[in-house]
Amino acid sequence: MSVRLKFIAILVLAAVTAILAMPREDVVLDKIPGLKHAKLSVKQGLDLQGGAQLVFQADLSKTPSDQRDNAMDSLVTVMTKRANIGGTQEVTVQRQGSNRVSISLPGIKDVNQAINQIGKTADLTFVTVNAQTGAEAPTNIDGKDVDSATADYDPTKEQPDVVLKLKSGDSTKKFSDLTTQLSQSGNLLLTLLDGQPTFGPAKTEPITDGTAILTGNLNITQARQIADEITAGALPVPVTLVEQQTIGPTLGRESVQHSVVAGAIGLGVVALFMLMYYRLAGALAVLALAIYTCITLTLYKLSALIPGYTIVLTLAGIAGFILSIGMAVDANILIFERMKEELRAGKSFVAATEAAFDRAWTSIRDSNVSTLITCVILFMTSSATPIIRGFAVTLGLGVIVSMFTAVVVTRTLLRITIRQSWGRHIGWYGVRMPVAEPKKPATTPNKEATA
Amino acid sequence: MNLIGKRRWWYAISAVMIVPGVISLFVYGLKLGIDFNSGELLVAQGTVSLSQAQSAATGLGLQDLQVVPAGGGQTQIRYRDPAVQSQHEPDHQKLKAALAREGFDELSFSSIGPTVSATIARNAIVSLIVVSAAIVLYIAFAFRNAPPPVSPWSFGFMAIAALLHDALFVLGVFSLLGHFAGVEVDSLFVTAILTVIGFSVHDTIVVFDRIRENLRRDRGTFEVVVNNSILETMARSINTSLTVLLTLLALFLFGGESIRLFVLALLIGIASGTYSSIFNASPLLVTWHNRKLKKLEKQRLVAKKA
Repeated sequence: MSVRLKFIAILVLAAVTAILAMPREDVVLDKIPGLKHAKLSVKQGLDLQGGAQLVFQADLSKTPSDQRDNAMDSLVTVMTKRANIGGTQEVTVQRQGSNRVSISLPGIKDVNQAINQIGKTADLTFVTVNAQTGAEAPTNIDGKDVDSATADYDPTKEQPDVVLKLKSGDSTKKFSDLTTQLSQSGNLLLTLLDGQPTFGPAKTEPITDGTAILTGNLNITQARQIADEITAGALPVPVTLVEQQTIGPTLGRESVQHSVVAGAIGLGVVALFMLMYYRLAGALAVLALAIYTCITLTLYKLSALIPGYTIVLTLAGIAGFILSIGMAVDANILIFERMKEELRAGKSFVAATEAAFDRAWTSIRDSNVSTLITCVILFMTSSATPIIRGFAVTLGLGVIVSMFTAVVVTRTLLRITIRQSWGRHIGWYGVRMPVAEPKKPATTPNKEATA
Repeated sequence: MNLIGKRRWWYAISAVMIVPGVISLFVYGLKLGIDFNSGELLVAQGTVSLSQAQSAATGLGLQDLQVVPAGGGQTQIRYRDPAVQSQHEPDHQKLKAALAREGFDELSFSSIGPTVSATIARNAIVSLIVVSAAIVLYIAFAFRNAPPPVSPWSFGFMAIAALLHDALFVLGVFSLLGHFAGVEVDSLFVTAILTVIGFSVHDTIVVFDRIRENLRRDRGTFEVVVNNSILETMARSINTSLTVLLTLLALFLFGGESIRLFVLALLIGIASGTYSSIFNASPLLVTWHNRKLKKLEKQRLVAKKA
């Protein structure tokens, strides 16, 4: 690709990413047919938006080792259902390591209720009770036979109840047999939830259509909660809460404000430094840095569209991003220092630029690879600590993008600049010792540029 | 400027910087936060006194109740709830409500069980070891065709010496801070150490890279080549560190309380990393090289005598 073509490609990339990186990119996207209402935003972690993170540990001691994986998968499924009940917030439920499940609940108000709701085993069982002796006997029906449950209100009895819908086929038949037998013998049916008597013991009529109405001493909130628990299903293994983090909404909001201010000041100071020290080259570096920031923010936003690969921005992640700006500048500094050296040695602008990039490349590569190694290892060992994972991801992505901007963007900008007559003043690159370009002092720069 | 000639001075400065912290590390150790030690941590807005916290916790049976001012008008209240795990949240709610009655709002709360903290601690140690090993291997690989007299492995090990310098410095400072200011280390701190390590190597490699390049051109003795390489990359080393330190300083001053200690660890670690890459890693290559020469000389003398 010719330099000019590359330059145009960079301009296009800069324009597109600048639009997407803007805080209100939706204004622009809405004008493009097909992309209307495309939701694009940086996904914020709990420490920024406030909320709670719960980690449950499953007790797999009674589960055969070859079934543990399945048990964990179904645990995640059931917990996801429970965590999502009645909520419009984006709840994420993830398996963590071999026996833990981490759940993040953004913007949640009542953590205690969430803990109870999610961590409860909700094991539904039915027991028959002999009307004369009071002896209890187990049945072959449990929560697995239930399709769904809803809370309802019985106007005649003036109390809430729970309507149980059994799975069609075998489950309905089993329940029908049981209730028919109970109504003939006059014995009672007791419904237990997690071993606690919840409905009954009560007489029952034969229920053949698979719809049972359970009444007990409940208020409507309790009835709803129980119905939700039954619908979500029982947890396949017992769990205990092993970690909890709650971040208040004010703290999160303040953190975002502080980080934005700190980031802006940091960027501003770095830009000022680069301009003062490297002059024209510094200006190019600042431009490259702006493009770097736009590309990175765009990648954050685009990643939110791919489930499972979303970059969740946390406070530590912002620190990683800001740190990667420092690293992005480093690549430019390496190149510019080298360029100054080559210019001082009397090389022409074209030769000095190319030599600077060639020589600086090994340093840029080796030093960035060592940071990338750190990021990869941090990522692999941080499944239990999302804070660290966020940092590793943003820093690693920053290092990769910064290598691209230094080697492609800055280089192209510099190549274009030194083609212009105004771009070839040695003093504009912060070179103290004035050295004339050797052997070509008389040629007019314009001709050279078009040649 | 002859930097290499004064290398014993540079080592001495490093020793002065590191030794107090290392002694503190052995005597006091690090103050481990709940990430590693399990327990509960509540951050409240306002300056809560110990007696206020104790009265708020009355009847809850909490153990090891501690109050640490966290800066920015916030207070960290740490405790350990001996009750069963399911009781932790109700206890926390009661404490929160009692504090709120005193006018202290809760900003954040975490509770970490012993199994989780064990995992976090194990991961921290594993990642420190793996990162160091991976970096030695990578440097040895990257410098595999470095011209004599230095072997690729010595580049790797000197880089490790420099990163140990930086890691020990940060650990030492935080051990002192832990003993005298109650500063705890958490998993973010481990991240900071690992980042400092990555950055330190990043800095060192740039100088090593120049040494390698100059060795190929063969300009003078090894000492002279190393000295020139350091001087040639000095402007870059200082400017890069300056930009990174400036961004970190902005984060430290304006970035909010939750990551201030994290940023502090990065700040001192990266400053130390710049020092060690200029004044330790490359001079150590010379020291190492000279020692090897002396050994060879001795062997030759012994061989002659025999």
